[in-house]
Amino acid sequence: MNNSGQVKSDTQQTGNLTIELTSLNKTYIVGGQPLHALQDINLQINQGDYISLMGPSGSGKSTLLNMIGLLDRPDNGHYQLKGRNTESLDEESRAALRRQNIGFVFQSFHLIPRLSAVENVEVPLMLSGVPAKKRRQKVIALLNDLGLGKHIDQLPNQLSGGQLQRVGIARALITAPSILLADEPTGNLDQTSGNDVTDILEKYNQTGITLLVVTHDSTLGSRARRQLKMMDGRLLGTSSNTQENSSLKGRLR
Amino acid sequence: MKTVDYFQWIIKAVAAQKRRTLLTIFGFSTGIAAVILLNSVGESLRQYILQEFTQFGTHIIAITPGKTETLGISGILNTVRPLTLEDAQSLARLPAAKQVVPVVMGTAQVKWGKRGRYTDVAGVTAPALEAWKLEIAKGKFLPYDNIQKPRTFAVLGSLVKQELFGNARAIGNKIHIGGQSFRVTGVLKSKGEFMGVDLDDMVYIPAAKGLQLFNRESLMEIDIFYSPEITTATFQKQVKSLLIQRHNMQDFTLITQDDMLKTLDKILRFVKYAAAGLGAISLLVGTVGIVTILTITVTERTHEVGLLRAIGFAPHQIRSLFLGEAVLLAINSGIIGYLIAMSLLFVAKLLLPGIPVGFNLWVLLLALAVSILIGIIAGWRPASQAAKLEPVIALRAE
Amino acid sequence: MTLRDLWRFSWHALIRHRLRSFMLLLAVTIGVSSVLLLTSIGEGARRFIHQEFASLGSRMMIVLPGRKETTGGSPPIYGTSPRDLTLEDAQALRTIPTITAVAPIIAGTATVSNQSLSREVIILGTNADMFKVRDMHLEKGKMLPQNSQDKATPVCILGAKLAAELFSKNNPIGQRVRIGEYRYRVIGLLQQRGESLGIDLRDMAIIPVRSAEMLFNSPALFRILLQLKQIGSEAYTTRRILQIIAQRHEGEDDITVISQDSVLGAFNKILLAVTASIGGIAAISLFVAGILIMNVSYISVSQRRQEIGLLKSLGASAREIHKIFLVESLLLVTLGSMLGIIFSYALVAIVRYSLTSVPIAIPWWSTLSATLTALIVGLVFSWLPSAKAAAVDPILALKE
Repeated sequence: MNNSGQVKSDTQQTGNLTIELTSLNKTYIVGGQPLHALQDINLQINQGDYISLMGPSGSGKSTLLNMIGLLDRPDNGHYQLKGRNTESLDEESRAALRRQNIGFVFQSFHLIPRLSAVENVEVPLMLSGVPAKKRRQKVIALLNDLGLGKHIDQLPNQLSGGQLQRVGIARALITAPSILLADEPTGNLDQTSGNDVTDILEKYNQTGITLLVVTHDSTLGSRARRQLKMMDGRLLGTSSNTQENSSLKGRLR
Repeated sequence: MKTVDYFQWIIKAVAAQKRRTLLTIFGFSTGIAAVILLNSVGESLRQYILQEFTQFGTHIIAITPGKTETLGISGILNTVRPLTLEDAQSLARLPAAKQVVPVVMGTAQVKWGKRGRYTDVAGVTAPALEAWKLEIAKGKFLPYDNIQKPRTFAVLGSLVKQELFGNARAIGNKIHIGGQSFRVTGVLKSKGEFMGVDLDDMVYIPAAKGLQLFNRESLMEIDIFYSPEITTATFQKQVKSLLIQRHNMQDFTLITQDDMLKTLDKILRFVKYAAAGLGAISLLVGTVGIVTILTITVTERTHEVGLLRAIGFAPHQIRSLFLGEAVLLAINSGIIGYLIAMSLLFVAKLLLPGIPVGFNLWVLLLALAVSILIGIIAGWRPASQAAKLEPVIALRAE
Repeated sequence: MTLRDLWRFSWHALIRHRLRSFMLLLAVTIGVSSVLLLTSIGEGARRFIHQEFASLGSRMMIVLPGRKETTGGSPPIYGTSPRDLTLEDAQALRTIPTITAVAPIIAGTATVSNQSLSREVIILGTNADMFKVRDMHLEKGKMLPQNSQDKATPVCILGAKLAAELFSKNNPIGQRVRIGEYRYRVIGLLQQRGESLGIDLRDMAIIPVRSAEMLFNSPALFRILLQLKQIGSEAYTTRRILQIIAQRHEGEDDITVISQDSVLGAFNKILLAVTASIGGIAAISLFVAGILIMNVSYISVSQRRQEIGLLKSLGASAREIHKIFLVESLLLVTLGSMLGIIFSYALVAIVRYSLTSVPIAIPWWSTLSATLTALIVGLVFSWLPSAKAAAVDPILALKE
């Protein structure tokens, strides 16, 4: 483990590099003072990785997530997504990339209050122009998978926290994205629901979807195969749950 | 995004806030209704007045003595060179002239036995019946007598007949006007009012007698009704040259119905547009209303905007979604405004049947077009603001 | 809550949502301004006509030959009747004690020419009293002779435009012109003034009334203008006039007497009605503003549910909450009205300053009704939303 900030993935499969961040910086001006949200971030993520991003509040983890999700632009540095440089892209192209590759899960769910569960999940498909019947079939199937079969026509104000987040996950997954970004997905949920949600996220990661979870809950965070820590805008060392490391740990004992 | 989905989206969005939407539509549609109503009232007035003026036809030329056209009263004044009955006679010989009516008017006391009434007296000739669209109720109108030496006949307007004779028979009786006696040969049907003048409070006598009665040498006016096959300009020239020949100079004024109507129409149109403009003030306030509500709505749905952007909606798509809501509100208001206006107009028609009111497709289309335009204008800024929102900030907003 | 605190509380609430408050303010201001400005136009027209009449002196009366029985109809404008109104008739009216001036008029049209230049204009045959009654003034030269009613002196006074047409820059006084078949000497020039009751004073000539009788070969008077010693004597004077004429006309009072009052009164009524209607229509915009107030109030109430819950938990009663929200709307409406008033009065002042001939002014009743309407609208349209605020359940509200 080196401390230069360079983090390499454990499973160095060539050709599977989905996300590559190089020397990313982002500074905000808050109340007249500059805030270095991201400082010289270097990160490589492969398809199928399960990464947790932890750190105290203000460490920049949400900012990093938003960067990766193309919701925000770095001040300098490079972000390559599936081999494409993203800095030079205009807003419309970024939107297209988001649509095709990324699914978001939010702490406060962000469901549209006037739409039912099934209608909420349909929105990404509607955006892509999928016809009504076809998309409804898909959505109902997915919602059933997630155990929400009985609630598909209910409005958000009729659902519990856990159910709401599951709808959120369904919406993130419905376009079959290659990357799933979750920002404090269990932050507004109780213990049980939180575990349920994490189980679901992991289940879909197993099918090959890259999962990146930002959390302040270390119990949750330690479930990830790669665990990144951030402090003051910098990525610190990593720890992982791979075989190699635990054997290393064993050797050191 | 499919068109069907787009429409479903904006309809659902607008319908989700029932009270807000209803109130917004109510406000804006009031403005639209106001404009339509006032425009209709203006148009009705215009048509009514024009109708009244053109009831005698449009191929009329009026000749008044003297050259100055001082608000049309020049005919009443004295003049050095009279317009005479002989002038009228020679004008009648023009081939395109259909009827020629010499006119002298005044007020006098008309007496029958002990009863008397001060009324308007019109000195005319036989063609006045057809030319002025008078209708005989009983008896006959003035006959085609020698224009210089007519018989002393008189025709009564319905009000005068009623006042002097009541239900008794008027025809054949002798009435006295200014010391001379006239025999009643006819009674007219009631004609009503025209621009504040009671047309039934009138007695018609031969023009020559009128000149005598009022002690005048000159007629006040000669009305010529001419054939529609000739142009106004051509006939005007003919009349002018004939009279100049007779008078050795142009000491008269020609007024064509065309000119009068054109001027009148201009004024009436102005009034109509002014009225519509009045309505437009309400429309303006209605627009302010739409902009306000849309702005508030966009602010409230900042989260939603952030979410949609996160999902992958492009800025221009966000804008078109909100713009669509604005236009939907506006179109609904336009339709409802139109319906409100039409209902009120139909109610008015029941009470005042004389009003020319009818379903007008153009008005509806115009109302819709204006609504859509205002919807776009009103919604542009709020929708653009929504489109410009940074997704990250939007998602974080309270 | 004291009134002062209430104002302050409301003020802060409005400031919090600047754009929203601004738009509401705009709506009310437009509504109030439109009523004020539009009625100012109508009022301007009314004052203009009054001014016109005032310049003629409100002590003027007019006698017309002929009479009509129809009530409410127009007076006999033709001026023709079987029995002429004569100069002697006019002279007889001088005996009425309440009259200070009598101006008989014989009117006609004729060509006035100076050598090769000529113009056909209206000719007024009258006397010196005419100038008094109609407040006309000479630019140059002399008045009509005192014996205009008796002697047909061949003199004339020209209107400014007529003189300019016939004599260009030269002095017309002392020159001779031809009117009809006769020659007249120019003794005076009328002051530049525009139209007065339909006759263009610039484009006409005035001769002694007896000369006019000769010129037009008719003794029939067109009108008689009279001036009263003081206002208030119209009824008495009218009676006396009718008496005298009847005496002279074989028992027939076949004339019509008009006093300035009646004509003005009719005009006044019509214009007031039109102005009020216009104002009323403009007020529809206030109604629309009211709907917006209601709409925004409802939104405001639902957005401030927690705040209301908090206030209630601190001890505010439902009535107080109701009052608070009403006051907010009223504050807004009052502000909007004031802005509308300031804007409208300022605009009217500017127009008055730059176009001094137009006496537009905002009638006081318009300002009053517009403001009152705005306040009532504000009250009525915020009543229901405020009631909703008052009905908020504090426990539920604070849980949200």
